[in-house]
Amino acid sequence: MNVFKNIGRWLRSLSEVFAHEFSIVTHDAGALLFFVALPLLYPIVYTLIYNPEVVRQLPISIVDNSRSAESRELVRSASAAPAVTIYSYDANLSDAKARMAAGEVFAIMEIPSDYSRKLATGEQATVPMYFDMSLLLRYRALLSAITDLQMKLAHDVTAMRVETIGASSIGMASLPVESESNFLGDTSDGFASFVIPGIVILILQQSMVLGVMLLEGTSRERRRRNGGIDPKMVKGASTTALIIGKALCYTVIYMPMAMYVMVLIPHLFNLPHIGNPVEALLFIFPLLLASTFFGQTLTYFAKERESTFMVVVFTSVVFLFLSGLTWPRYAMNDFWRFCGDLIPGVWGLEGFIRINSNGATLAESVKPFLAMWILTGVYFLSAWWVMAYIRRESRTASVPAGTPTASLPSAPAEQSPESSGRS
Amino acid sequence: MLGLKASILREVRRLGSRRIYICAMVLVPMLCALFFVSLLEPGLPLKTPVAVVDLDHSTMSRKVTRTLNALETIDVSERIESYDKALDRVRAGEIYGFFVIPANFEADALGGRTPTLEYYSNMTYFVPGTLAFKGFKTVAVTTTGGLVTATLVSAGADPAMVGSLIQPMTVQEHPLGNPWLSYSIYLCPSFIYGVLALMIFLTTAFAITMEIKNGTSSQWLATAHGRMSVALVGKLLPHTVIFSVVGLGIMSLLWGYCHFPVAGSLWWMALAVLLFVMACQAMALFVVSVFPNPRLSLSVLSLLGILSFSLTGFSFPVQSMYGALAIFSYAIPVRYLFLIYVSDVLNGWPIYYVRLYYVALILFVPIGCTLAWRLKKACLKPVYVP
Repeated sequence: MNVFKNIGRWLRSLSEVFAHEFSIVTHDAGALLFFVALPLLYPIVYTLIYNPEVVRQLPISIVDNSRSAESRELVRSASAAPAVTIYSYDANLSDAKARMAAGEVFAIMEIPSDYSRKLATGEQATVPMYFDMSLLLRYRALLSAITDLQMKLAHDVTAMRVETIGASSIGMASLPVESESNFLGDTSDGFASFVIPGIVILILQQSMVLGVMLLEGTSRERRRRNGGIDPKMVKGASTTALIIGKALCYTVIYMPMAMYVMVLIPHLFNLPHIGNPVEALLFIFPLLLASTFFGQTLTYFAKERESTFMVVVFTSVVFLFLSGLTWPRYAMNDFWRFCGDLIPGVWGLEGFIRINSNGATLAESVKPFLAMWILTGVYFLSAWWVMAYIRRESRTASVPAGTPTASLPSAPAEQSPESSGRS
Repeated sequence: MLGLKASILREVRRLGSRRIYICAMVLVPMLCALFFVSLLEPGLPLKTPVAVVDLDHSTMSRKVTRTLNALETIDVSERIESYDKALDRVRAGEIYGFFVIPANFEADALGGRTPTLEYYSNMTYFVPGTLAFKGFKTVAVTTTGGLVTATLVSAGADPAMVGSLIQPMTVQEHPLGNPWLSYSIYLCPSFIYGVLALMIFLTTAFAITMEIKNGTSSQWLATAHGRMSVALVGKLLPHTVIFSVVGLGIMSLLWGYCHFPVAGSLWWMALAVLLFVMACQAMALFVVSVFPNPRLSLSVLSLLGILSFSLTGFSFPVQSMYGALAIFSYAIPVRYLFLIYVSDVLNGWPIYYVRLYYVALILFVPIGCTLAWRLKKACLKPVYVP
């Protein structure tokens, strides 16, 4: 019977912590900003930035040394490509390069003087092209347009030449093999369609970590002011009840947020969304839970409210790269892949992209799903250790020094970390 | 100047009193620089895992598979027996695309019945998807070309002429400044200085608003004999020195230790880095003057710092964004540093073309100081709102 009584007591303190934490969150403008405003607004801002999806009409310069019907035909075909617009004809390469330096054009096509002669005599003509390499996206768009141009020309000229050498009799009128390219997932090959489904998951994790650390940092400040006791904390709650109660509170707050960023945002902006939304939400549950414990673990580094920003914000960039969205994970060295393995959002991002854009089922995403549950366990243990450490540290550190300030619970940080603690 | 030395000494003592400053100012930017350099070290991701669905099992289909596997960016990690199974592997994230060789491929190709090679690239991951696509396309084209050559030569055409017959025109690519198409050269400078900008924003706001939070702001002004200009110089000058050293340290890591290509002069880049540090500080000062509250100013600056990675067009060009958003990229210091880097270091264009960007970086400083009077008011009567 004693066991049941203990369990009952534990559950009661768990629900108290839950309710208490909920009221703290709703009364803290900073936490609300992270928990609500950030997941609501960031996906919209990001999608608007990338929403043009593809780069079109990139200005290029032409240096036509051939000045023939063939070279003009080539330029006309080039300007027909959606990615290209002919910005200028320049007299020579150095004029064109000056334009490139001024940022007016992003590529130069130099048609050699023997271009039409070589086409006519059946030789291979070479056309040098110079690309500005500041952005690979631009280079790629131009290159793919030029490759298509090359293939179109090959098609036209080859048919003509085969005719002239009299080989049409052997059935070379068409190519012997056709080929067909298909894009999976992001079928429009657009930038927002590729980047947003990944980014929203990182937004979920990072806003959660920021909010949790802000709340915990504030609580640690209260402890410092009040001789090691946080007056806003539920009395008599065990460390386990404390961290689980908080984790459940944050997870509940995040369920509608997750629904919003994972289901509504892709619909709203017509990004890929062929997955089953229910499975996507089930899949993301361990991410939310793991993120709450991850945030509670990182609290170790947040000795006060505002240091959260210094500790967490830059990690978003690092996690984005570790997730493999920009640089694939199979190409990373073992160390960085291992670091990525430790971040819940990395797994969440990978699994969600497969579910959302490739239509994978939960069963097919079982590897990231399990990994997130394992991380939930790992970060639960570390969060427990950090919470136990904080309770111990603030008790021992503040008793001797804290007696005078303990009587001033509302004074703004008499005993500031600038003078006493180091964080 | 009256009180300047005392103000500087006071700030140096404060910077030394807490570990968070040395972490945010030196460790984070330097470690992030090492992170990017080490992560992107291969330059181009090689060996994209893909699959071949060979339904033909002929000499020719095996040759196609071998050609595909011989590409350095492609690794045929799996041979799969059906389209459905291949799609399952894509969904499980094991492969990034697959190449389908239809049944009777060899017989149809030689018999003039025009079979179709199909290839599928998973574009949900941009770089591997693109690399798989490029490899597939190359192999599809060379397979076609090889067959045309074989047919024509067997029909008695001159083998020397056949090459130009298949490809009458070739484009000779010259990717200026980055002929290796290295992602490292393309991403490292912009992202590392983006992180530095973020840390300058946060540290400046943190250092100033902590005075308000802890109620020491009036003491800070008193040290400067009540003059805001002296107080600000005294506070921010030590930061400028530290961040400049870090900024130059990143330069020596990238262009010294890692031998990234330098087409122009690094002295101009160094000057740009110094101006960039001050421009970021000024921008942070402006935000702090508008919101003299630690949480609000740090939130706004975090937002700016993180959004600037996207808004400055490191990956998606500013020229292609919606105008209403693209205009904000000109309010972000790191945008100008990026443009100067591209023009001077990557391309080696004359400095004339970026003269206005230096002016823009300098202009941040006076603009950032315009609202300092507001900050002074807040410092004289510090109110902390959590």
